[in-house]
Amino acid sequence: MCPLVQGASVVAVDSATVILVLVVVVALSFDFTNGFHDTANAMATSIATHALPPKVAVALSGVLNLVGAFLSVEVALTVTNAVVHIQDADGTPRAELLGGGGADLLTIVLAGLVGAIVWNLLTWLLGLPSSSSHALFGGLIGSTIAGLGWSGVNWQGDGSKIDGVVGKVIVPAIASPVVAGVVAAVGTWLVYRVVVGVAARYTDRAFRWGQIGSASLVSLAHGTNDAQKTMGVITLALIASGHWTSTTGIPFWVKCVCALAIALGTYLGGWRIIRTLGKGLVQIAPPQGMAAETSSAAVILVSSHLGFALSTTHVTTGSVLGTGVGKPGATVRWRVAGRMVTAWLITIPASAVVGAVMWYIAHGLGGGVLGALVVTALLVAAAGAIYARSRRQPVHAGNVNDEWDAPAEAERTPASMS
Amino acid sequence: MHVLGLELQALGKILLVGLLLGAGLPVLFSAGIRAMAWGTGGEAETHPDGGAAAVPHPLGRVLGVLCFAVVLACVALGITYVVASGFGKTFSFEHVVPTLVDKS
Repeated sequence: MCPLVQGASVVAVDSATVILVLVVVVALSFDFTNGFHDTANAMATSIATHALPPKVAVALSGVLNLVGAFLSVEVALTVTNAVVHIQDADGTPRAELLGGGGADLLTIVLAGLVGAIVWNLLTWLLGLPSSSSHALFGGLIGSTIAGLGWSGVNWQGDGSKIDGVVGKVIVPAIASPVVAGVVAAVGTWLVYRVVVGVAARYTDRAFRWGQIGSASLVSLAHGTNDAQKTMGVITLALIASGHWTSTTGIPFWVKCVCALAIALGTYLGGWRIIRTLGKGLVQIAPPQGMAAETSSAAVILVSSHLGFALSTTHVTTGSVLGTGVGKPGATVRWRVAGRMVTAWLITIPASAVVGAVMWYIAHGLGGGVLGALVVTALLVAAAGAIYARSRRQPVHAGNVNDEWDAPAEAERTPASMS
Repeated sequence: MHVLGLELQALGKILLVGLLLGAGLPVLFSAGIRAMAWGTGGEAETHPDGGAAAVPHPLGRVLGVLCFAVVLACVALGITYVVASGFGKTFSFEHVVPTLVDKS
């Protein structure tokens, strides 16, 4: 890939620009899927309890994500450092990956992003809430292993602080649903104790308001946390290809497009996932919805305050489960929960495999423009196929709240497909 | 092992503060609802069929408003935290009253 002839280096730089454009577009697509995959985290419970009409809920969440994304002034340039070694500690790309105008690094990032998007779309098709951050990390881990070998992955950090795949991804993944579940269960149990003797019509109205407030907080926190990751990835690509030099700031247009992409994605609403989280796991009543969203907001904000960010998706799912456990007499569909946990377990390996395969394809085709174009075309084809499949059993604002177990619906629930 | 210790420590803190805020605030909120219902009386509270509806208690409304005010203050604190962390600031609880400081 490293051109020996001087004249060829001009061509290499130009082709790097083409790859850069592809990386930016694919990164924004990931940001978009990140948005609609996670609408459910904030709004599934509010939609299920009719605290907000479905369309209003996704619009509110979209706006708050947009605001949240613009609020993230701090640079998330070192986002990949948690899992792979393609950047130095200050955020600059590793010098040895900058051959061919940064094409080496761009190919790894592109392949990783494709892995993340494919997994996000597949889990959306199945109506399973899974972590978009895990998908991104998984994709990057896969393409890095393919491109740089096993040593390219930051498994444990250097042992002095919480770092690496184990510390920043696996441990939080296991711990967050448990922590959030306990908080939500305790909260729900106590809430029902406190309001004994108050008329249900009177409590439900108040709880719906409480639910909207706490859900809004979750949306805002999501915008600040998640849009940053894509901003970091795009800025990394810009630095690698020599279009940006600062490691303390990001271009304003990057912030703008990332904020818009995640907000539009959120507004589109991942109805399949909203349905699973709002109706499939637990039949949610307004007090439970409020307890679950407050638990999620508290756990997300506290954990990010302590610098040990827990996955939003895992936290909210844990909260919803917890609120089912905490309400006396409520049923939790553990089978649905089991499917989710399975999806979580395979999120990283699955997106890693796709990321790795994409890297090999791109590399096999010379690692240049052709490879990048083919990989992007494969992504478009996969996305088209998944979308076409989803049209067979569409879930939208109109049927998102249909009864989960109703016989006529049983065939149409996304989670019953395989 | 050192790192595992750090992680358990962080998780313990998250669970503790999470319980305090994540379970405490809903409880306070529902206490507010209950106080309001007690304050409103009438059909806000369940009572046996044919039995007399409860009479309103003004004190209940005061207590209810107080509970809601505390909850709202905590939510405002939460929003401030999200906004502030976007600008590279964080809360310090050193002086009991949360103050905004630069992130270390």
